Amino acid sequence: MAAPGTAGGGRSGAPAAEWGGFEDNMQGGGSAVIDMENMDDTSGSSFEDMGEMHQRMKEEEEEEAEGEAGAGEEEDGEFLGMKGLRGQLGRQVADQMWQVGKRQASRAFSLYANIDILRPYFDVEPVQVRARLVESMIPVKMINFPQKIAGELYGPLMLVFTLVAILLHGMKTSDTIIREGTLMGTAIGTCFGYWLGVSSFMYFLAYLCNAQITMVQMLSLLGYGLFGHCITLFVTYNIHFHSLFYVFWLVVGGLSTLRMVAVLVSRTVGHTQRLILCGTLAALHMLFLLYLHFAYHKVVEGILDTLEGPNMPPFQRVARDIPVVSNAVLNTTAKAIALTL
Amino acid sequence: RPYGGYEYPQQAGFVPHDMMQQQQPYTGQIYQPTQGYTPASAQSFYGSNFEDEPPLLEELGINFDHIWQKTLTVLHPLKVADGTIMNETDLAGPMVFCLAFGATLLLAGKIQFGYVYGISAIGCLGMFCLLNLMSITGVSFGCVASVLGYCLLPMILLSSFAIVFSLQGMMGIILTAGIIGWCSFSASKIFISALAMEGQQLLVAYPCALLYGVFALISVF
Repeated sequence: MAAPGTAGGGRSGAPAAEWGGFEDNMQGGGSAVIDMENMDDTSGSSFEDMGEMHQRMKEEEEEEAEGEAGAGEEEDGEFLGMKGLRGQLGRQVADQMWQVGKRQASRAFSLYANIDILRPYFDVEPVQVRARLVESMIPVKMINFPQKIAGELYGPLMLVFTLVAILLHGMKTSDTIIREGTLMGTAIGTCFGYWLGVSSFMYFLAYLCNAQITMVQMLSLLGYGLFGHCITLFVTYNIHFHSLFYVFWLVVGGLSTLRMVAVLVSRTVGHTQRLILCGTLAALHMLFLLYLHFAYHKVVEGILDTLEGPNMPPFQRVARDIPVVSNAVLNTTAKAIALTL
Repeated sequence: RPYGGYEYPQQAGFVPHDMMQQQQPYTGQIYQPTQGYTPASAQSFYGSNFEDEPPLLEELGINFDHIWQKTLTVLHPLKVADGTIMNETDLAGPMVFCLAFGATLLLAGKIQFGYVYGISAIGCLGMFCLLNLMSITGVSFGCVASVLGYCLLPMILLSSFAIVFSLQGMMGIILTAGIIGWCSFSASKIFISALAMEGQQLLVAYPCALLYGVFALISVF
């Protein structure tokens, strides 16, 4: 037993040298021979140590068996050799799983790195955001040279989320029931669908009409235009006056639409193109506010009653609770009539 | 034997490497004893005594003192937050708070654990993306989830109040607005100090307010 051990220790001198740091703590120096006499009681040891020990014992047995059979057939650096198959295979599997995990993590990381493209659009100060919010309600007067649009996505994103929250609040206070879907899903789908969809559509129209505007600028412009929608809906979902809603729709919605239209006009050349772009944007923006108000909140009790008229069940059988006295009277009367017949 | 000296150190080297990888990128002080300990225990392979193992709470990463510190930071809106305490990704406290929130909703007759789970998952994901885009240093998902979970504590007060009183009156609206402001103020305060984003507290507080507003919607209606 000692001869293969020392022979193995001698041959393993070269590859073992690189791992010198670990060898210092090894029992028995540079050889892999396990000295069973120095083993402590391992009844409370951790799972890894038990596994390592078990593996090493198996390998030692196999090493001895093979050492007697013909150790000359081994080659250096062959990991998938027959010798110590169980130990090697287990380690290979663990190693492979580790590699796969690492590869997946690095793939996820590179996916994350793509989000960095959006990083410059979120670099804002609170003062800037406030200024832009106020500006979005003020139509510009000068339409002869292109107006500057801030290519920023933080403000528009927050405004869309605010609109989602307001919609949700409105749906909850009016006990709106969405039959196929959830309240949250409907609100998010509506608001993000409007923001992204109408922006893309307007960008496409702007491309057709030769307007000088990029996609990010269009997203930003439309996003800030939703500020008027947020204000209007916040007020009119809580104060239910029909005429109040129409006033807000015209004034607040109109102001933000005028602002967007003016900016677009300043960036487009040609009357027909200007008309197409601005007409489409104005129509979509104002109609969206109208839709949000009427579709997601109870407006006035009277209108709702007339709307619900056809949906009432045709005839309802309701159990009437007849008082006991009249029941007895009824039975007596029935018996009297039966007797007389 | 050619593999004799080679296999053995590889085995010893594999385990601590794995343990150390799992504790990146934010490792706080609590993990240091474990980190220093693991290679030694793997190398004294026969010797790993029962007494040498770390205590259970330390292995699980639950440090009651830090949990209490973070809870106090949330409850005192004016207390200055220490940026380093949020380095540990501690999800035990937030888990308890989410369950407590669901339990207080249950006491009010609303069985909405699923909503709490879904909204907190989506909200954490959204805040994670937003904070990574807005901050110079990145932030890990565990850190975001941990902070948002801890700042849910005042919302538990709101929902326990909703057990007894209805929150749909004027007083309920004021109380709800106050609690939402408290939660988002604490969360933004901790994020600002952890990510060194001075001057942007309002910008971080607003999305937090939206998220906690959705939780408040669940409590109120």
